[in-house]
Amino acid sequence: MTTGSLLAADLVIAVLAAAGWLGAGAASAARRRRLSLGLAAFALLATVARAVTVTALARAGWWFAEEKVLIAGPLSLAAVGVAGPRLRRAVPLLFAGYAESTALLVTVLHGYPATAGAGLFAVAVVAGATAITWRFLGSRPSRRLYRSTLAVAAAALLTGTGLAAAASAAPPPPHHHQYQYRNVAAGEATRRFTLTAATATVRVHDREVAAWAFNGQVPGPELTATVGDVLEVTLRNRNIGRGVTLHWHGYDVPNSQDGVPGVTQAAVLPGQEFVYRFRADQAGTYWYHTHAVSDVGVRMGLYGVLVVRPAPVTGIDVTLPVHTLGGLALPALTVASVDPGEPVRLRLLNTDNTTHRYALAGTPFRVAAIDGSDLNGPVSLVDTAVLIPAGGRYDLVFTAPSAPVGLFVDGRLVYSTGPVSLVTAGWPVLDPLTYGVRAAVPWSRSDRRFTLVLDRGLDLHGLLPRYAYTVNGKADPDIPPQVVHLGDVVEFTIVNRSLVVHPWHLHGHRVLVLSRNGRPATGSPLWLDSFDVRPGDVWKIAFLADNPGVWANHCHNLAHADEGMTLHLMYA
Amino acid sequence: MRKAFVVASSLLLAAFALQFVFAAVGAFTKPAGDGAYALHSVNGMAVIPALTLLTTLFAALAKAPGRLIGLAVLPLGLVLLQVLLAALANAFTDASGASTPVGLTIGGLHAVNGIVAVHIVVNVLRGARKLASPQLVAAVQAA
Repeated sequence: MTTGSLLAADLVIAVLAAAGWLGAGAASAARRRRLSLGLAAFALLATVARAVTVTALARAGWWFAEEKVLIAGPLSLAAVGVAGPRLRRAVPLLFAGYAESTALLVTVLHGYPATAGAGLFAVAVVAGATAITWRFLGSRPSRRLYRSTLAVAAAALLTGTGLAAAASAAPPPPHHHQYQYRNVAAGEATRRFTLTAATATVRVHDREVAAWAFNGQVPGPELTATVGDVLEVTLRNRNIGRGVTLHWHGYDVPNSQDGVPGVTQAAVLPGQEFVYRFRADQAGTYWYHTHAVSDVGVRMGLYGVLVVRPAPVTGIDVTLPVHTLGGLALPALTVASVDPGEPVRLRLLNTDNTTHRYALAGTPFRVAAIDGSDLNGPVSLVDTAVLIPAGGRYDLVFTAPSAPVGLFVDGRLVYSTGPVSLVTAGWPVLDPLTYGVRAAVPWSRSDRRFTLVLDRGLDLHGLLPRYAYTVNGKADPDIPPQVVHLGDVVEFTIVNRSLVVHPWHLHGHRVLVLSRNGRPATGSPLWLDSFDVRPGDVWKIAFLADNPGVWANHCHNLAHADEGMTLHLMYA
Repeated sequence: MRKAFVVASSLLLAAFALQFVFAAVGAFTKPAGDGAYALHSVNGMAVIPALTLLTTLFAALAKAPGRLIGLAVLPLGLVLLQVLLAALANAFTDASGASTPVGLTIGGLHAVNGIVAVHIVVNVLRGARKLASPQLVAAVQAA
């Protein structure tokens, strides 16, 4: 059982336990003795079963179990201790129900890390609800017990509020440095492009779709360069009211060119322009997209492909940026005629917020590169699918066979060299961590370690409380920045406690995958900029801090990033 | 207070009826995006819990019997369960995000739980009306 399904199973059992105790209490209050006893027995069983799932989660990693051991544990013990010997009485059963439901709420609304404040709030809720129940069921206990319960509730509430207020005191504002940027000298061989962002109506599969487009097209124009060229891209905004920028996804540009509004530049408002200039010194498949209101902006179509080739094109070289525009899947099917024996490179991109499954049928192929970086010793694969995370890219290469080949994305044919009819649904999925041949990595030390625990939680920042996507229990802009020094080897441990996948993306640096769920990466060194941290996953990655500045470090499901899952890496 | 209890529980029932309408709006919105269920989410996670608390408060102030107060607060627990069921249904997807039989089963329970909650609110409203005009109800039943 994976840790992800264990997390979900634990939640289901916790719900059953809470519902069982509450139901038993209600049945007992309504004098339905047998029903009450049955429900209580069921709840007892579920509570004990939860000990098993919580233990298993703690073994998978303390992050998954902390609040379940420290807060839900004592509450469950109290529930069993109080209700266990009194299975026929309503108030003890309801007390157990309150304890289990509150523990569940701590997991769902607060999560990691467990804090004394959350624990005290839980105690206050349970004690308060029990006191109210005594009042309404008219079965008040001794004066002393009733009064001390009220006192416990009040004391826990006050102390908890105090602790929570102290903990949520604003972090010091990030201080801005002047960095020495690697700048591009004027007068070098320059490839110039102009991208104008504007609202547009585009045709997709014979339907008119309202979009935001660069130069009136979705995706925007494909920018190409040869290694060593200087790229100069003028961004103009005609009428996108909320502003646009250009972020070079996966391209380690100087910080001033990274295109993150409010961090590296101001958003380009209607009528304004901004010129990006950097040297194309990394070959590979990349993409650009707006980082201003990025969730809406990218979904509406403000993105395009950036391909940097080591040399002029030889053979067939196709880019296939997959996107969902207004609910319609892009790109449309391309049918190409390719001579047998010709080398083909398919550059597959995922510009959506969620993972896509790509299956190349009709030919053996190799995965030559992932996220723009060439793999070492990629072996030939056949009838194998690849999963590309949000923002990620895979380059597949093969020699055109005489029979037609077809590329399917989530079962839809997007590229073919003739009629293909194959079912690719049952194919195994490539694990890039075991693909290719090991090679020496440039460093084995680590100077600085950070842990990022991804979860959801109630966030009280601003006027309206929101159910935010959180990192270490906090949501943007309250997540403290990660401070590194130039030349550090930095190691991240990224833990996903939530029930959904988080495609992680650090700006300005390619990261080397060290291990996933305790198993070291054994294949080719994997240099990624976008990787799926699935529910229950623990990834260890490392990178060299060699690009000074302030860099966004966020989930590339951009809706999650907008709802809190963004922090910053900054150089001291 | 008894009148307030009737009004609050009527509003709660109306909010529940709207919740089904909003679910249909979400299901038939084309193209289906994350925003399709925005009304359903706001109504379910803000309006309904607030009205439930209000109904419970008025039930207590109207000195309703304990059973009726318990019944009035019950939708709160079921709403929390609803949110969890929706999250779990989305959690049980395969690697590329497509739904699985387990996820769809849990998603189905989301509908069942919704029906149970409406049934409870109907009973709360009946209880509230009985409390507000016991003679009238007695007369109607006699006639």
